[in-house]
Amino acid sequence: MLELRLVQGSLFKKVMEAIKDLVTDANFDCSATGFSLQAMDSSHVALVALLLRSEGFDHYRCDRNLSMGMNLGNMSKMLKCAGADDIITLKADDGSDTVTFMFESPNQDKIADFEMKLMDIDSEHLGIPEAEYQAIVRMPSNEFSRICKDLSSIGDTVVISVTKEGVKFSTRGDIGTANIVCRQNMSVDKPDEAVIIEMQEPVTLTFALRYMNSFTKASPLSNTVTISLSSDLPVVVEYKIAEMGYIRYYLAPKIEDEDEEPKPGVKNERD
Amino acid sequence: MFHQCLVSQTRVFPLTRPTPLFSFLVSAVSINKPFICFLFSSTPKSFFSSTPKSLMSERRSINDVLMASARAAADRKKVRSPLPKKPKTLDDKDTTTLSENSKQEVEEPSSKKAKVTVEDPSLTFEDRIAQLKKKALDFKPKSAAFWKDGEPVPFLFLARAFDLIGQEKGRIVITEILCNVFRTVMATTPGDLIAVIYLSANKVAPSHEGVELGLGDSALNKVLAEAYGRSEAQIKKQTEELGDLGLVAKASRSSQSLMFKPKPLTVARVFDSFRIIAKESGKDSQDKKRRHIRDLLIAATDCEPQYLIRLLQSKLRIGLAEQTLLVALGHAAVYSEQQSKPPSQIQSCLEEAAKIVKHVYSVVPIYDKIISVLLSDGVWKLSDTCCFTLGVPVGPMLAKPTKGVSEILDKFQGIEFTCEYKYDGERAQIHYMEDGSVEIYSRNAERNTGKFPDVLLALTRVKKSSVKSFVLDCEVVAYDREKQKIQPFQILSTRARKGVALSDIKVDVCIFAFDLLYINGRPLLQEQLNVRRQHLYDSFEIEPGVFEFAKAITSDDLEVIQKFLEDAVESSSEGLIVKTLTKDATYEPSKRSLNWLKLKKDYMDSIGDSLDLVPIAAFHGRGKRAGVYGAFLLACYDDKNEEFQSICKIGTGFSEAVLEQCSNSLRTKVIPKPKPYYRCGDTIDPDVWFEPSEVWEVKAADLTISPVHCAGIGVVDPNKGISLRFPRLIRLRKDKIPEQATSSDQVADMYRAQKHNVPSFTNSVGEQRTSVPPELRRDSYRRACYSTSE
Repeated sequence: MLELRLVQGSLFKKVMEAIKDLVTDANFDCSATGFSLQAMDSSHVALVALLLRSEGFDHYRCDRNLSMGMNLGNMSKMLKCAGADDIITLKADDGSDTVTFMFESPNQDKIADFEMKLMDIDSEHLGIPEAEYQAIVRMPSNEFSRICKDLSSIGDTVVISVTKEGVKFSTRGDIGTANIVCRQNMSVDKPDEAVIIEMQEPVTLTFALRYMNSFTKASPLSNTVTISLSSDLPVVVEYKIAEMGYIRYYLAPKIEDEDEEPKPGVKNERD
Repeated sequence: MFHQCLVSQTRVFPLTRPTPLFSFLVSAVSINKPFICFLFSSTPKSFFSSTPKSLMSERRSINDVLMASARAAADRKKVRSPLPKKPKTLDDKDTTTLSENSKQEVEEPSSKKAKVTVEDPSLTFEDRIAQLKKKALDFKPKSAAFWKDGEPVPFLFLARAFDLIGQEKGRIVITEILCNVFRTVMATTPGDLIAVIYLSANKVAPSHEGVELGLGDSALNKVLAEAYGRSEAQIKKQTEELGDLGLVAKASRSSQSLMFKPKPLTVARVFDSFRIIAKESGKDSQDKKRRHIRDLLIAATDCEPQYLIRLLQSKLRIGLAEQTLLVALGHAAVYSEQQSKPPSQIQSCLEEAAKIVKHVYSVVPIYDKIISVLLSDGVWKLSDTCCFTLGVPVGPMLAKPTKGVSEILDKFQGIEFTCEYKYDGERAQIHYMEDGSVEIYSRNAERNTGKFPDVLLALTRVKKSSVKSFVLDCEVVAYDREKQKIQPFQILSTRARKGVALSDIKVDVCIFAFDLLYINGRPLLQEQLNVRRQHLYDSFEIEPGVFEFAKAITSDDLEVIQKFLEDAVESSSEGLIVKTLTKDATYEPSKRSLNWLKLKKDYMDSIGDSLDLVPIAAFHGRGKRAGVYGAFLLACYDDKNEEFQSICKIGTGFSEAVLEQCSNSLRTKVIPKPKPYYRCGDTIDPDVWFEPSEVWEVKAADLTISPVHCAGIGVVDPNKGISLRFPRLIRLRKDKIPEQATSSDQVADMYRAQKHNVPSFTNSVGEQRTSVPPELRRDSYRRACYSTSE
């Protein structure tokens, strides 16, 4: 038996919006500790990890660990039927091949049940170790979103480099180039608008903007975003979900090719 | 019971389902780095696994995952090289191998790096692939295998072999490499041989099953963009630069690292996916196809994406002809059977075996059948088990072109021969089964039964009652029964291709039979033509305008033949086929034999004045022609309307130097949009347009009415123009300016001058042709492609 109740039902909707561009099908895993998801995009370049801790729910009951395969497009369709202020409850019986979304209006005068079929999805769980990153940037999430959007109108990759000066996002395209530098800025009165850079050593990495743009769909979940970079690791773009957990995106960097056709297999030999 | 998987320090992820995807055990389990192992669940489809596994070893951390490709490559080198099963075979080889390969390594920087990690006496991956280039006699079948016996053959092995073959030009060398590939597979995992052969032949099924890949560029562009995180525009642009979507795929793959590396592709999986892709149809089939391709592309490494794409396009283009493949297969069978024979004897065995395989394939073009017999009974018994069967089309016998009647007399001096009309229709091989069912196969062994219900009906009528089963070789020709006239091929191509109902038939056809391959349970392939022909004449009744025998004469008088040829052209045939009657006159399936010669009016010098035309647009070249234009759109000049009207695409007749010269001079004339005074069909869609600047002299075989091109539009047909068939460039005319090009009136005159066109096109047929759905027009184009290759 599984029952998760979230008074602030819009959170579910926001989470769904943040994932569905990247992943089409995924397993949602429920355990006593929380509701989580880990999924790779279809091209195996990006990974999304979501955690909603059990404490964050208004009611959380999970008798047995359960993994539910869902099509995110369909799930999003169902959740769109919930009103902005509705209380959302997610229910599933043990061994059942369906999940039920229940939407209650705030004054309890309307209750809607949506039942959705589950699916079998093969997926592999990857261990995600805590790592030391060479540079960690914290900045307003809408600022980051804006930068990614602006850059993608010019080029399709973004070079993120962190130096003592600040963090620089740059791109190059047919029509020209763009560079955006954000300097460290710790204003005390508006902590949400601060740009904080913790740097052990300078890092420069290149990423496909396409993925970055899908990551920024999580901006409504959090006012700030944390970007952790290391030259030999995937970048981590994390949005904290207040009192609940987080949504983290991992993205494998592009390999900068100086010569036209880099030899496959030689690429990461510096490792 | 649940599998539990520790994900971070505090959380536990449950896993209720085993992951069959990973149930394939790859040998590469953690040699030095236990955490890089691929994840496997040994439990197949059961819902609740009862075998708890050591979960710690299944865990992969994201660090490993990012570098997976590099490490996996390194791993592969480590894992695959040691533990040779029979050290004997490797030991004595090793020293020679390494020195031999050092030459190649200069070209391949990656192999040099690989070498560092190798300990004696093992071979690196690169070394093993290089083994394939050894002479067949020195080659030890297992030395090139980097997988264990019985394990599925990795696709990388085949892709690398394709790479080697693509670098070679000589047929003998290619045969040897391919032979070594086959031997390696036979020695390790013979079950994968069928898949290897089909992939090498770039097929997914025997031709007569009609299952084909041949995906379009736009679909593949889309998948590439999806799989490698790029935009379609980018991919298009790079395709222009590199000239080959395969190379684009390879380059795209190597510029984006992966979060984790899927398990390596195997030959069997690629082939299975191809079959699924080819058979996918109906709703959402495009999406499903794309998904399968994407999965393959994501798992592809090294040069695999390049060959995946080319295979999907059905354009492998490594200079590997199917005949070479058959020879290599025959050789491989000999080597794997008779290791002990002295080299002198082996040579003759090889030739014999190649002959057998070629022959068997021409009679039974089904690899599945041939391979399974080959593996179980050996090559020598192949002919016993695989012989001509009713219902399996054999490749039609083909004719060699000749230029004139005198040439024929030279070739057939002192031999009895016969001349037949060469009708301008569709070659058909009709199989009539004992149970009364009938199948009609095209020239390319495609099933065409649905196109000719009237032929089926006619056959039951014209065959004599004593005939229970037969295989008939014939030409199906469009025929006007009222006027009792043969109609040109273009009329026939207006028929629907599938599911034609008797009541809907607007274009009547006549069957012109000229050969009989099988009668009442008895194959006639080995009989001489006069015997076969006698059987043919004895088995069927003529029904004028429905079923006739090809008009033939037997003569060796030059005058008579010349007259006969003129008659043939007069009655709308393409020319003559000349065949030996009694000597060397067996039916040789799919052979372009000297015993059949064709004499077409196209080849005769008297037909076809040259035209002076203006290049107005071009298409980017691919493959060999990357970087220059691959084809040009030519136009004639309409002096009444003062416009340039498209007349044909041209891609032949260019030497490399001329093509380069044309491309360079025209490149300076590129304009962003077609001029308002250009007139051409919307479906042509060239890549670039030019200012009218040059005049080229072009010769062509024929002029036809075209739904696409606009030359002389309104003159001969109210809505259609005229186009050239098989145009070829003669020279550049520097003495003319574009406005002095051949005028559309001249083109129309030339068209009218072609006798057989006049009556048929202007009358009732014209109306019929306007109702042709667009997909049918392709048919005539396709035929044009085949014919040019003749």
